[in-house]
Amino acid sequence: MNNSKNESSGKDYNYWRSLKELNNNPEAFDQKANEFMKGVTDDFEISGMSPVSRRKFLALLSASVAFAASSCTNYHSHGEIIPYNKKPEEVTPGIPNLYASTCTGCSNACGILIKTREGRPIKVDGNPDHPVNKGKICAIGQASVINLYDPNRLKTPVAISQEGNSSINWKTVDEGMIAELEKASSSGKQIAIISGRISSPSEKMVLDNFIAKYPTARVYSYELFENGVRNAAWNRSYAPGSFPLIQWDQAKVIVSLEGDFLANEGHAIENIQMFSKGRDGFLNKDFNRLYVVEATMTPTGMAADYRLRLKPDRQLDFVLSLMNEIGERTKSSIKAPSGTSSLKDFVKNENMLAGTVEHLVQDLIDNRGSAIVYAGSLLPEDVHVAVNALNEMLGNTRLYRTDQAEVLQIPFAQKQDLENLVGEMNKGNVQVIIHYDTNPIFDLPQDYGYADALKKVPFSIAMLEQENETSALCRYALPISHDFESWGDFNTRMGIFSLRQPVIYPLYSTRQKEAILLSWASGDSKFYKDTVYHDFIMNNWEKGLFASAKSPLDFRTFWLTALENGVVVLPENAPAPAGFKAASLSEIKPPSKAGRYTLYLKGNYSIGDGRYANNGFLQELPHPVTKVVWDNYAFISPKTAEEFGLEMNDMVEVKVGSRKQEFPVFIQPGTADGAVVVELGYGRRKAGEVGTGTGVNANILMSKDAPVTPFIYNDAQIRKASGAYKLVTTQEQHTIEDTRAKDAHKRRGIIREGTVDEYKKNPGFLEKEEREKISMNKNPEYLGVKWAMGIDLNKCVGCNACVTACDIENNVPVVGKEQVDKGRIMHWFRVDRYYSGTAEDPVSYTQPMLCQHCDTAPCENVCPVAATTHSPDGLNQMVYNRCVGTRYCSNNCPYKVRRFNFFNFRDHFADGYYLQEPVEMVYNPEVTVRSRGVMEKCTFCVQRIMQARENAIEENRELKGSDVQTACQQACPSEAIVFGDANDPDSIISKFRAHNLGYHVLVDLNTRPNITYLAKLRNIHPEV
Amino acid sequence: MKKTLLVKKTVLDYTLKVRLPLTIFVILSSIVLTYFISRPERDGVGYGPTQPVNFSHKLHAGSMGIDCRYCHTGADKSRHAMIPSVSTCMNCHSVARKDRPEIIKLTKFYEDNKPIPWKRIHRVPDFVYFNHSVHVNRGIKCQTCHGQVQNMEVVAQMNTFVMSACLNCHRNAPQMLPYINNVKYGPQNCFACHR
Repeated sequence: MNNSKNESSGKDYNYWRSLKELNNNPEAFDQKANEFMKGVTDDFEISGMSPVSRRKFLALLSASVAFAASSCTNYHSHGEIIPYNKKPEEVTPGIPNLYASTCTGCSNACGILIKTREGRPIKVDGNPDHPVNKGKICAIGQASVINLYDPNRLKTPVAISQEGNSSINWKTVDEGMIAELEKASSSGKQIAIISGRISSPSEKMVLDNFIAKYPTARVYSYELFENGVRNAAWNRSYAPGSFPLIQWDQAKVIVSLEGDFLANEGHAIENIQMFSKGRDGFLNKDFNRLYVVEATMTPTGMAADYRLRLKPDRQLDFVLSLMNEIGERTKSSIKAPSGTSSLKDFVKNENMLAGTVEHLVQDLIDNRGSAIVYAGSLLPEDVHVAVNALNEMLGNTRLYRTDQAEVLQIPFAQKQDLENLVGEMNKGNVQVIIHYDTNPIFDLPQDYGYADALKKVPFSIAMLEQENETSALCRYALPISHDFESWGDFNTRMGIFSLRQPVIYPLYSTRQKEAILLSWASGDSKFYKDTVYHDFIMNNWEKGLFASAKSPLDFRTFWLTALENGVVVLPENAPAPAGFKAASLSEIKPPSKAGRYTLYLKGNYSIGDGRYANNGFLQELPHPVTKVVWDNYAFISPKTAEEFGLEMNDMVEVKVGSRKQEFPVFIQPGTADGAVVVELGYGRRKAGEVGTGTGVNANILMSKDAPVTPFIYNDAQIRKASGAYKLVTTQEQHTIEDTRAKDAHKRRGIIREGTVDEYKKNPGFLEKEEREKISMNKNPEYLGVKWAMGIDLNKCVGCNACVTACDIENNVPVVGKEQVDKGRIMHWFRVDRYYSGTAEDPVSYTQPMLCQHCDTAPCENVCPVAATTHSPDGLNQMVYNRCVGTRYCSNNCPYKVRRFNFFNFRDHFADGYYLQEPVEMVYNPEVTVRSRGVMEKCTFCVQRIMQARENAIEENRELKGSDVQTACQQACPSEAIVFGDANDPDSIISKFRAHNLGYHVLVDLNTRPNITYLAKLRNIHPEV
Repeated sequence: MKKTLLVKKTVLDYTLKVRLPLTIFVILSSIVLTYFISRPERDGVGYGPTQPVNFSHKLHAGSMGIDCRYCHTGADKSRHAMIPSVSTCMNCHSVARKDRPEIIKLTKFYEDNKPIPWKRIHRVPDFVYFNHSVHVNRGIKCQTCHGQVQNMEVVAQMNTFVMSACLNCHRNAPQMLPYINNVKYGPQNCFACHR
């Protein structure tokens, strides 16, 4: 029962990656024993192969040789070199340009730098000058460049009808639309604009202009995932306004209730940066302490020191009983509402770990003023009100940020607004509906009846990048420009104005959505020109921002400087917090009677609310916890699975009210018993060739009249359904150990850990293997720069930003679900996830794993053609044009980081989807695009090393280790990755290598790896 | 019977011992000779095609002494030396020698907004990431690889551009580049050029 006791003596633990492994299932061991999965060649189908016979093939071959020979007259010809006619001043072929812009992948509006080569955007990274995201962006932002080149983008305006779609031109659109809008507003019928969150002041002005011109227009702004509930609770507890941001870096104790703030809640990138400052194993011995109470394992739960399982509908009771207990112990004036159960009873009823709860209560009391309790944004409003009160009670309001606050340009439409809209639509009072880059048919709960109502609107328009479920029901679909083709300004934080500039002329006949509305608002069908929105923003800035900035510059210089920096910061402070309203607590309604099973719908970690479903790079990003690709599923606990006789990959039917859906089952260690957790955003019916039909649509289980929240249903019924569904997970692929022993991971020291307490008492607690081993290899000497990497396991939260950054930087292909199933995922960089302890309450670890660039690399000895060798600066080189594909190297690599191109995956995936125009424009020209039959792996971003070397030579100085940043390092929000010259005694990396916590993986093999990990420390209470 | 056998044996002997080895030797040596003699030819040495505009390096780089980097602006900045854009030519030729037929051709390209499709002469394969700037910035003269371009009316390839030629210089830098003081050896590892 008392797991925390075991947790603190973590050394006794074995490590495992899946339940199969924990239960010593022989299958799992079989899989490990083989480099390439068993049976992957068994499905070789003769019928699927080319029908050409051998004889015919030879005949064709000789004919083509003869033909080729006959045309060999000018074999010297090397083709042509086509220079510019008029070279743009800023372009030098071979040298990338960086442009500051803003990402609109979600509503956080991070500052980005877009890297272009010869005019093509090829990579996105954070803008270091941006005060919020500080040079880092998430996996979605990294992968957004693929969306620009997506072959399924809508290329011209389209009229949709029963008979089929037909392309029309913008002139027809503008003329028809303006006439229609004028008709609607003069006849007093409503024009509805369904938008997402509006984060741009100029965009808001466009909407205002539009409404001024057409007074019957109304804007409905909604997001599937938003912070509305937090703000509503803040209003109840304090005053109207937005919930304050939290100083995560100042918190000594963090209690997160179903709040995945390190992955997909709030500004996760900023949160990770601040949180990891409190867990710096390299610099500090003082760590913050994270408690997580959640229904199923999330990245935040994996990072926790203590983790408790609880169904989301029980969180309210938990907070109240926590208040009860703390109130009693601290004699606080704020009292929990009467009728609250005592903490002891609650813990007993919910079968929680009593020892951990006791630590939690005591830590909160001991750290009053420097602790924070945080509730997830999908929890009901009452929980947030209670959490506000709890923080007030403990004096934790000190940790609310006063330097920055969220800004909302337009308030979100409430349930009532949307119901009214649908009512008006049904009554025929809505003449025109404009879907402003939104997909309500997919997002909104079905019981709004939006789809039926939409059919009654005479004139419906969808503005979007790719056709979706909503556009299929509209009369016109208008293509809008990608982020990288658009102007814009964004203000999501007080005083921080971020600019978006186009880095490429629109690839197709698209217009940016703001400009479309702006030209309609003019009432003149000839109003539109390319620069219309640019001029509009400039004008706004000149009148508004420039005037208030009191800049000594003239406006043009001010504007160009702002464009170059990407962001303008004005001194604006968050409003002072208002007084706490103790009465708010009495408004808390007791939770409705709960059934045995709770359905919890939550956000996923890669494809947003479903809008990135057609992005293969995001679909193939392994889930941070389960490592499943291309799917969603129902997380259930091992115990619940047993109760229903469910196995992995079985189907389970979940029923809430009259709505039901079947999901494949994923038995997830650490899930609360009785909870069924499903991620939303999957199961798109119309999302392009890649995204259509991936996963199961769980949005249809949502109801606008949900008893708890639209995301939590405590009266779910579940039963085993017939059939099976193959979920593909990489968690057991590329496993390191081969010993048929249960504790192989531990014995081989792959994950090494300790506790903060242990480390403080004895910094050298980590035993290092120092003994010199006999080696067949010559010990290489490195005289100049020697490249090496360090990874702090304490900071890594498994957010996957590094994986996507690596994919885009190094032209890693998408392989598709069935190929991943065969162990052929091509990612050079993977984040391994290990568990230890029991299946009910496991402790989790993330470990980024990539080529270790071993000094005595086992792969190099076995290559028969010397395609992989060692460089004098310590890199394990892989030469594609020499590789003949024996795969010996991969077989001999103990870290399993080499990847073989079983196909030309660009050709093989989805019938050559990523071979179509214009996808090739995204490739990094500094990295070879690998074809079939060659091995590949991490190169430590050698192209960046060479670029740094080139710059050093140009500037006539020596190359320094700090000149190079690898793509993963640049992307890592927690700065867990460091890179540099191990021969430079002053560099961070050489300090990493000498650090007390530093260790190498599989050091017993004498491979002398060059990636140093800092051992994982848990900040848990010492054993009593 | 015996005699004929003997005769036949002698003929066979002769064929096996003299004629066959001789034939094989001739065939092999001609293959080997052809291979080596035609090697530079096959590697492109001497390849100097007619260009769409009859540009003379001898006049511009030789007689007038214009620095290579005036036109090939990438040479000391980037991987690519860069063929100049038409606008670079027009810096002078919007005024100079406007009446010459080749300049009229050039102006036509400029005015039609069309690039000039120059025939490519020097080429390394796609899997080689050759970098001009590191070489130029170390003080290596363009002529070391490209030959005496300033004396060429029509530019042709003067050296082979194969890996052995690269390595020859990287391994013997002091001998190959006597005009640079304390020249370092070039990198000889794979990642230096392949990635």
